[in-house]
Amino acid sequence: MAVVPMKRIFVCALKKDRKSILEMLQRLETVQIENFDRDKKDDVFEIQDKSEIKNQFERNAQTAAEALSVLNNRIPEKKSLLSSLEGREALTVSEYEERVKTRDGIMDAAQEILKLDRECAENNAEIPKTETQIIALEPWLSYDLPLNFTGTRKTAAFTGTLQNEVKLETILEKLNEYAPDAVEREVRVISAAPEQTCIFLICANKDAEAIQDALRKMGFAKPPFTSDNPASASKKLKSKLEELHKKADSLNEEIKSYKDHRNDLKFAVDYFNMRAEKYDIISTLSQSNRTFLVEGYIPAKNAELIEKKLSDHYDAIVEFSDPAPEEDVPVLLKNNGFASPVEGAVESYSLPGRGEIDPSFIVACFYYILFGIMFSDAAYGIVLVIVTGVLLHKYKNMEPGIKKLLSMFCFCGIGTTFFGFLFGSFFGDAVKVISTTFFGHEVILKPLWIDPLTYPMTMLAFCFVIGILHIFVGLGAKMYMQIRDHQYLDAFYDVILWYMLLGGCILLLMTSSIFTDMMGISRPLPQTAAAVGKVMAIISAVGIVLFGGRSSKNWGKRLLKGLYALYGISGYLSDVLSYSRLLALGLATSVIAQVFNKMGSMLGGTWYGALIFILVFLVGHILNILINALGAYVHTNRLTYVEFFGKFYNGGGRKFMPFAVHTKYYKIKEDV
Amino acid sequence: MEKMGIVFALMGAVLAALTSGIGSARGVGIAGQAAAGVTTDDPSKFSKVLILQLLPGTQGIYGLLIGFITMTQIGIMGGSADMSITKGLLFLGACLPVIFVEPVSAINQAKASIASISLVAKRPDQFGKAMIFPAMVETYAILALLISILAVFGVAGLNV
Repeated sequence: MAVVPMKRIFVCALKKDRKSILEMLQRLETVQIENFDRDKKDDVFEIQDKSEIKNQFERNAQTAAEALSVLNNRIPEKKSLLSSLEGREALTVSEYEERVKTRDGIMDAAQEILKLDRECAENNAEIPKTETQIIALEPWLSYDLPLNFTGTRKTAAFTGTLQNEVKLETILEKLNEYAPDAVEREVRVISAAPEQTCIFLICANKDAEAIQDALRKMGFAKPPFTSDNPASASKKLKSKLEELHKKADSLNEEIKSYKDHRNDLKFAVDYFNMRAEKYDIISTLSQSNRTFLVEGYIPAKNAELIEKKLSDHYDAIVEFSDPAPEEDVPVLLKNNGFASPVEGAVESYSLPGRGEIDPSFIVACFYYILFGIMFSDAAYGIVLVIVTGVLLHKYKNMEPGIKKLLSMFCFCGIGTTFFGFLFGSFFGDAVKVISTTFFGHEVILKPLWIDPLTYPMTMLAFCFVIGILHIFVGLGAKMYMQIRDHQYLDAFYDVILWYMLLGGCILLLMTSSIFTDMMGISRPLPQTAAAVGKVMAIISAVGIVLFGGRSSKNWGKRLLKGLYALYGISGYLSDVLSYSRLLALGLATSVIAQVFNKMGSMLGGTWYGALIFILVFLVGHILNILINALGAYVHTNRLTYVEFFGKFYNGGGRKFMPFAVHTKYYKIKEDV
Repeated sequence: MEKMGIVFALMGAVLAALTSGIGSARGVGIAGQAAAGVTTDDPSKFSKVLILQLLPGTQGIYGLLIGFITMTQIGIMGGSADMSITKGLLFLGACLPVIFVEPVSAINQAKASIASISLVAKRPDQFGKAMIFPAMVETYAILALLISILAVFGVAGLNV
């Protein structure tokens, strides 16, 4: 339940064991390697740059990944919606070694797949090109001469197109107009379509130039091809198209035949990424001719295991030392099953900085309560517990981050169920609506405490009480840290005085007539309580003014600073008011649930009424669960980060990132 | 004229749902555009940006909440709808915080959401912090909602 204590580790070993030692460390995932003397000049040890080799491995990983995606495009992997929960498959070391031997074969297969894919792409690019050629030939199909036919010995021939649909008479008219002398000519319209007219014209050689000029004026264009006769050209193209399609199919089949290599490719991606990571680390190590050094941090409890593993199998010197107090030691949190689920929430704020406690446990205590009050429906809580419970049970191998998140929601679900029964909400007022609409007599699920919709003021006061408790626990955590560090006076000035001031103000408020009227309390607290509250508040306020600015030597400055510190009470006021969101979000959940119940029951107790009710009920409540669970999650985080952490927690710790196997598909287990 | 009380009261209820709905619709819409942009680049960020997109949606729900509570209190959903003009105007007044604050906060929250979406696009590990910035804006929507809830219940109990 705390920040795991770390030790510095120092290993000196022979270079011949470098590969196997590093691979073992990588699989054990417990040492964060850092070169502390990186910048120190040394005659014996130096850092060797291995980025060349690393890049080579990264390229290989890239190739395998590309081949894998080619394969996945052809044969999509069957994946369920929840497959991301399944986690990575585990391999033992011997299985791993066995598969490493096949890596060259796998890479050959990957290259082959990529080659086939490239061929396939080229082949597929040909298909539309051929198709356009076939279409362009269509208007010429009835023409039985080659399209590049230019005439005989005594005649000149023109084959080509005119824009738009032109009648034969019009062509003749125009020819008469533009080339009145060239009378020995014959014109045929081969095909006519709205966008173009294909014509063939033959004339005597002597008139060729005049005709050509005339045709140019009419917008005559050469045909697209100069091949042999259109019908046979088209036939050839069609058979070419067929071949292209056949080839595409066969290439696809060939690629598909590699489908058994999918797992191998995944392994290759992981393997080369792992090696790249290893060489990344080697690039930071100090090495001499025969030896190399590994330095870094290790959780203290794993020190013995590592020492045993290293000294049993290798000629290596292993030393441990405690990190210096001012060192920026990486942080690893370790908590029990109740508190560890919120580690993710703590981490996404910030990990504990130097000298700070791991707040996970106290965060967890309030996290589940705050979420419960905001979600506040027993049935929704049960749904949440069941869904997360089933997922946690079914996918035991899931990644730790997701597992923590799911167990957090599971605990939140328990909190929700508890507060749901306390406030008498079960799918809103579903029990009442169903019993009156369909069974004719009213059954009410009585709240174990109060119905917030009927007594909003009581509920609001309850939310503020929770808020004050939350803030007081935050201040208490600050006091704990100060006492632990023997700063007793600071603890008194910064926390005890504030406890007194806030406590006094609360006493004063509770005895005031505004409060008793608002809450409808008939027997207010005795006046002595008010007097006690007043005295407490005044003493502590004076104390805060005097000592709030104690860091300043100058008394004038110190008092001003003290006054400013006292002004901080407005901050506490707004912090407490912020907890009114517990009421607002809680009401939102139950009122929207009621709206859906009401909508569903509008058709009354008939059979189609029941059908509509079930439909509206399902859709409405699923929607409500999603929206309000999101709201409750976001605002629980906000209350924790802003109101709670604001009191004692700064964070700023560095995450412990051990040298590890960061793979996508497989994880390799060291047999311990 | 004596019958106008219920008219004012209902106006309060529907305006609460109306303005908040408009605000949230716009807010979720513009945040959705940013979220879609990020998902184009990296589909794996979908769930994170979706959450950020949905944050400005709650204001619409708060409007619905006030609308519904007011309607049940004034007898629109069953019961007697008789009330004085004073009481009707009081209900309308009780709805005002929600009518005005919710749409403004929804749109501004959406702007904060968009900024957070681009934060997540660049640094997905900072999701927890990214979520807090838009949530800050929502505080004022919640405070307005709170005053409206208390006021509506308070007015319902008055004998005027």
